[in-house]
Amino acid sequence: MSTQTAPGASNSNAQFNFFKMCIGRPVVVKLNNGVEYRGILEVVDGNMNIVMEQTEEYLNGQLKTKYGDCFLRGNNVLYISAQPKRM
Amino acid sequence: MDKKEEGTVEEPLDLIRLSLDERIFVKMRQDRELKGKLHAYDQHLNMILSDVEETMKVVQIDSDTGEEFIGTEKRNIKMLFVRGDGVILISPPLRTS
Amino acid sequence: MLFFSFYKTLVGKEITVELKNDLSITGLLQSVDQFLNIKLKDIKVNEEEKYPYMISVQNCFIRGSVVRYVHLPAGDVDVETLQDHSRLEAREQKKVQQQAQQQAQQAQQK
Repeated sequence: MSTQTAPGASNSNAQFNFFKMCIGRPVVVKLNNGVEYRGILEVVDGNMNIVMEQTEEYLNGQLKTKYGDCFLRGNNVLYISAQPKRM
Repeated sequence: MDKKEEGTVEEPLDLIRLSLDERIFVKMRQDRELKGKLHAYDQHLNMILSDVEETMKVVQIDSDTGEEFIGTEKRNIKMLFVRGDGVILISPPLRTS
Repeated sequence: MLFFSFYKTLVGKEITVELKNDLSITGLLQSVDQFLNIKLKDIKVNEEEKYPYMISVQNCFIRGSVVRYVHLPAGDVDVETLQDHSRLEAREQKKVQQQAQQQAQQAQQK
């Protein structure tokens, strides 16, 4: 049923390597609706579904909520940005 | 390979699998939020939740002053199917691992 | 596939389908397909005053993609079975993905 592109199958290596490099490190994920999530990247798949730890939700630069674990559905992701260290 | 599948999160959907039979928080489009016990999901994030509390933001008008403000509206649903395309975020209760 | 099978067990039961445009339709589930398109019969629209043009409609076909929620009859849902099936399907999905990955790797090596 509904064969979505499997991770690694159609993605360039560069993308995959970037994700690998970011795992376990602080990242900022921005969604299409403008909300930003800061946390430790746990795992990503080919659909850009993301799981993060110690996540903080920011809207217009203001902290809104915190989540222990959180799953972000890939279609909403605008970008994933690696952070040098925890702010 | 199959042996270690139980407790670890090696791909994002594993987090959802580990949340089966737990109360999860779901953030949806259009400023809707759900809390409910997860009973089923698939790769699109279609889900079945029970004892759901839905919170939504609505623009209300103050009856005295006529001013508009953002209020919240709540409702409870016993058993609910949620279509995955509206889902933004899912957060399980704190894992003890 | 899981939800398709699940909906097939609910045929003949009363469900309320809530659409993305806020219209809520209650009716008897007549049939469902793999896209979770839904056919309802003997329908009733919940806020009829707001949607007067719906009064004369008795049967309808709803495209799966416009559905936001479906309110289910709690008594007809076996949550244990659903959870087991979800785990099973997750496992199968993973297998399919691993195979695809291996094939991609092999293709690259060639």
